[in-house]
Amino acid sequence: MAQYAILLYADDSAHAPEATPADLEPHNRHADELARSGSMIRAYALTPRDMATSVRGDTITDGPFVDAKEVVAGFYVLEAPDLDAALAIARLNPVLRMGGGVEIRPVHTSWAPEQEPATA
Amino acid sequence: MSDRAAVEAAIADAHCREWARVLAATARVARDLDLAEECVQEAYAAALQSWTRAGIPGNPAAWLTTTARRRAIDAIRRDATLRSKLPLLVESEDEVAMDDVVEEPGEAIPDERLRLIFTCCHPALAQDGQVALTLRLLCGIPTADIARAFLVSEPTMAARITRAKRKISVARIPYRVPRPAELPDRLRAVLAVIHLLFTAGHTAPSGASLVRADVVDRALHLARMLRELMPDDTEVRGLYALLLVTDARRATRTDAGGRLLQLKDQDRSRWDRSWSKPTT
Repeated sequence: MAQYAILLYADDSAHAPEATPADLEPHNRHADELARSGSMIRAYALTPRDMATSVRGDTITDGPFVDAKEVVAGFYVLEAPDLDAALAIARLNPVLRMGGGVEIRPVHTSWAPEQEPATA
Repeated sequence: MSDRAAVEAAIADAHCREWARVLAATARVARDLDLAEECVQEAYAAALQSWTRAGIPGNPAAWLTTTARRRAIDAIRRDATLRSKLPLLVESEDEVAMDDVVEEPGEAIPDERLRLIFTCCHPALAQDGQVALTLRLLCGIPTADIARAFLVSEPTMAARITRAKRKISVARIPYRVPRPAELPDRLRAVLAVIHLLFTAGHTAPSGASLVRADVVDRALHLARMLRELMPDDTEVRGLYALLLVTDARRATRTDAGGRLLQLKDQDRSRWDRSWSKPTT
């Protein structure tokens, strides 16, 4: 088995402070399905682009690092036997039906503390 | 004892016809495309000596495959510790047991070429990489010749091929025929590579002549191979027919001076009609 990071690209993150349960429902349902299947081993939903802060050299700026139409709205790590299996799972992401896309990156190494903090 | 010229001709013929079959079957054992290529090259080299001494075998492809696979197994055993640290080609179903593959020359070899085609043309590879890898692995064309056909330097082409091979092993692009559900998408990528290759030869992007016959012939060879491997697929048959119809005009597309002739000025009696007769 190998690990793949799935980066979710969208106009913006659905997980805004004012997001309603209805906004989040498709994403949460998909996350639940992945969690149940056992293939997803870690997942992060990020706050919207307005909350982002970037540092390049000495300069700190407001907003995402790459000034593009889409931003990374979240990412998760899944375990799969090969790229085709990872692609099959990644293609189910609801972001693909909302005009966004996903990027699949094989994980080289990962690290996590022995004891997970209660909240990130 | 065989006549050396006859042996050389048999090897050249086997290189042209059987390279893909031998490499595909060897890759299954080697689990590494570079090692497989190396072993197949060595098998062709060994054939020169062995066939001159013992005669040309009845089934050259089987002889070459057995020889290449044995070399691959030897290499794996020799470098067991080193290779255990390298990423291997991913095979999902029925892993090959090593003892299964040391069969005697002459036995039927399972045709693994489809796996190789779908791996070389995986949509996760850049299209220039797909084309280069297909020519290198399925047609056995040396990197220098591929570079010449696409008018790039040899190091550029070598880098393209290396990058594609590395992605296959690092991202674990599997060495297998896609499942039926994935097949239409994946087949489209394969057909695109063959069509692209044909187009690059049919109207050469640069150079003195309009047609690069060697490139066209490779594309036809691949289209024919695919039709042989997937005889019931209408898209595959359609592409092969399209290439044949288009190529039938090859000889009439330019005048004696090599200048382009319009369709209305072409000598239609010279169009190649042999394709319209049913072949194999």
